[in-house]
Amino acid sequence: MKKIDLHIHTVPSISDANFFFSLNSLKEYVVRLNIDCIAITNHNLFDKTQFEEICQELPAKVFPGIEIDLESGHILLISENEDLEDFNTKCKLVSSLITKKDDWITYEQLIEIFPLLDKYLLIPHYDKKPNIKEETLTKLGKNIVAGEVTSLRKFKACIAEKDKLTPVIFSDCRFIEGMTDFPTRQTYIDAEDSTLVAIKGCLFDKAKVFLSKEEGNELFQATDEGVMMSTGLNVIIGGRSTGKTHTLDKISRSFENIKYLKQFALLQNDHEKFKELVTTRHSLLSENYLKELKDVVYEINEIDIRSNNIEVEKYIESLKKYASESDKLDSFSKCKLYNESNFEIDDLDNIKKLIKATELLLDNKEYRDVIDKHVPLTSLKSLIIELIKTHNEIYQKNLMKNWTNDLLNRIKEDLRFRSSTTAIDDVDFSKIMLEKIKVSKFRSIVKTLQKEQIIDSKEIRGFKVVAKTKKYTGASQLKAKSKRQLTFSEAFNNYEDPYKFLIALKNVGIEETDFYKYIVDIEYKTLNKHGFEVSGGERSEFNLLHEISDALKHDILLIDEPESSFDNIFLKNEVNELIKEISKEIPVIVVTHNSTIGASIKPDYLLYTQKSINEDEVIYKIYYGHPTSKILKNSKDEEIMNLDILFDCLEAGKEAYYERKERTYEILKN
Amino acid sequence: MKYLKISENKGHFLKDKNQPENWTEIDQIEKDDLLKLLDIASNEVFEFDLYDEDIIGNKAHQIIYKHLSEKFTTFIANKDRFKDEADNIYKDAIEKYQ
Repeated sequence: MKKIDLHIHTVPSISDANFFFSLNSLKEYVVRLNIDCIAITNHNLFDKTQFEEICQELPAKVFPGIEIDLESGHILLISENEDLEDFNTKCKLVSSLITKKDDWITYEQLIEIFPLLDKYLLIPHYDKKPNIKEETLTKLGKNIVAGEVTSLRKFKACIAEKDKLTPVIFSDCRFIEGMTDFPTRQTYIDAEDSTLVAIKGCLFDKAKVFLSKEEGNELFQATDEGVMMSTGLNVIIGGRSTGKTHTLDKISRSFENIKYLKQFALLQNDHEKFKELVTTRHSLLSENYLKELKDVVYEINEIDIRSNNIEVEKYIESLKKYASESDKLDSFSKCKLYNESNFEIDDLDNIKKLIKATELLLDNKEYRDVIDKHVPLTSLKSLIIELIKTHNEIYQKNLMKNWTNDLLNRIKEDLRFRSSTTAIDDVDFSKIMLEKIKVSKFRSIVKTLQKEQIIDSKEIRGFKVVAKTKKYTGASQLKAKSKRQLTFSEAFNNYEDPYKFLIALKNVGIEETDFYKYIVDIEYKTLNKHGFEVSGGERSEFNLLHEISDALKHDILLIDEPESSFDNIFLKNEVNELIKEISKEIPVIVVTHNSTIGASIKPDYLLYTQKSINEDEVIYKIYYGHPTSKILKNSKDEEIMNLDILFDCLEAGKEAYYERKERTYEILKN
Repeated sequence: MKYLKISENKGHFLKDKNQPENWTEIDQIEKDDLLKLLDIASNEVFEFDLYDEDIIGNKAHQIIYKHLSEKFTTFIANKDRFKDEADNIYKDAIEKYQ
């Protein structure tokens, strides 16, 4: 069995951030992780001098390689460690074609540079970004046998699915000075020797590729210290300060895309804080629900009914005054234009919409048959032509009206300047009426919106989160909403008249874009399965369920001491089942002190951490194995009895266990 | 229904449509009357006598009637467009929150 990592970076390129390569770190990595073969695969370049130096220093087989930007994806091209001069020349050609970050070469360019593709091992980014496109893979044909994936879950999925390529996991690591943790992303292959031919031979057969040396794909190496874990459900137990959290931290540093629920993170004592948390979690829902209101408020905010009324008043008063002065008209006010009103400009919005709609009918291919059946293409064409013609006519008229209005205004201004007669103030009836209608519709929208009603209800594992609209009941609620020290009492006095309220909000000092948030409250209630609001313990439980329900978007789930947030959570069936379910997809690692876990959660793998002091030196050890095996081992093959651990951690020691067994359990039995 | 009319050499308007016999002289029109008439013009059939200088003797009435009839003529001419526009106001919001 060989452990391989054929994706390693040693030279920074235009495709990644700058770093300083450390040969010492690479060497330590290969030794600590017991790696048999590596490949040096820098982005679109091969550094022959550096490569030769690495080969000399490393106690492992090193292959020359290059990670090429191919048709906007990435592919590893790895050669046998021979004829380096030829490989170097070819790689230089690649470098010369890719000079900018977004450059890539085509398949044709690739085979021109490397005509004998089957001489190399080609590994595309498969379930890893940026992946090689399907059509490029087709062109590469039989030259591709394996594909790189990023997670254990994707690895197992590729193994299970017939049509998928053989998966491989590599570190894709840049080695720099002072690394404390090393990645554990490598692949085992059942090869006899460390040649490219042998590796390629194994990659043809999915049955020869594994995540672990001896346990197939059921276990994986979790830390660079050699700790193995199950790709299913792991439980880490051990006394206080024995390195449990340290182990989780280490795993979280060596893998990507991890969901890590830290100690106490789920604790939910405070009712108000919990409410706030649920509201924040659902803020997108609130925002979506109020989207239309937001637009309306934005428009209404611009409307000033009071000034509209004043305009009407001014118009009628000036008209009457002018009429009463009709016998005193001077030569200026006698002019017809003196009180001429402006032309109203026609709105083109509707006709524009019609043209767009007709265009849609004309261009649509998906439902062509249906459209043709009812409206012949020729009719649609003549319709659009006529609509455009009408539009252009109105548009032209508008231009003329604008021009006339402009002239009119200038003449009126001049005449009025010289005349002593009252001038009639103009008024736009349509605008005034439309704005009045807008305000009235706004009022009725808000009134409907403020009625209590459930707008959303989500079931989450026996809990229900219900979103309800309701009126604000006091200025203090508005203040809490603003999260600022502002006075809302005066504004709130107008709350019953939405338009007046909106105007009053302008004096409060909040952003105009946020006005809509103060009109209606959306309250979220979390209910338990009996339909009552959740208690303190249930809040934590709900929080756990919520947090882990999105765990499947991640590659590993780590939970540190869930019991720090609640009592006996694993007695809850829902939680148990959910964690079990998740562990079927991704590795789950739970650190716990809880004495019921051993019995109720039934992990696939058990880990035990231990701290000992040897001549002033603190030594941390991790033993691991199947929960049913009598012996657990550590990475140095030291052994410990499984039963002892269980007594030690879970039952407060052997004596306590037997005492309890005899006194309590037996009494209960009798 | 008619809301502006010319009779006895003067312009008149209907202050209250529930009292169709009770016409008020046009120079008595006020802001609130005008807003009411505008409301009616946007929602109902709004008829009025066309302006005719010859049959209104009173100069002041001539001026007020002329202006008002012009305003209402333009407003009613654009009524279809106005109706379309008014019907579409906040349609999305109304449908969503109903």
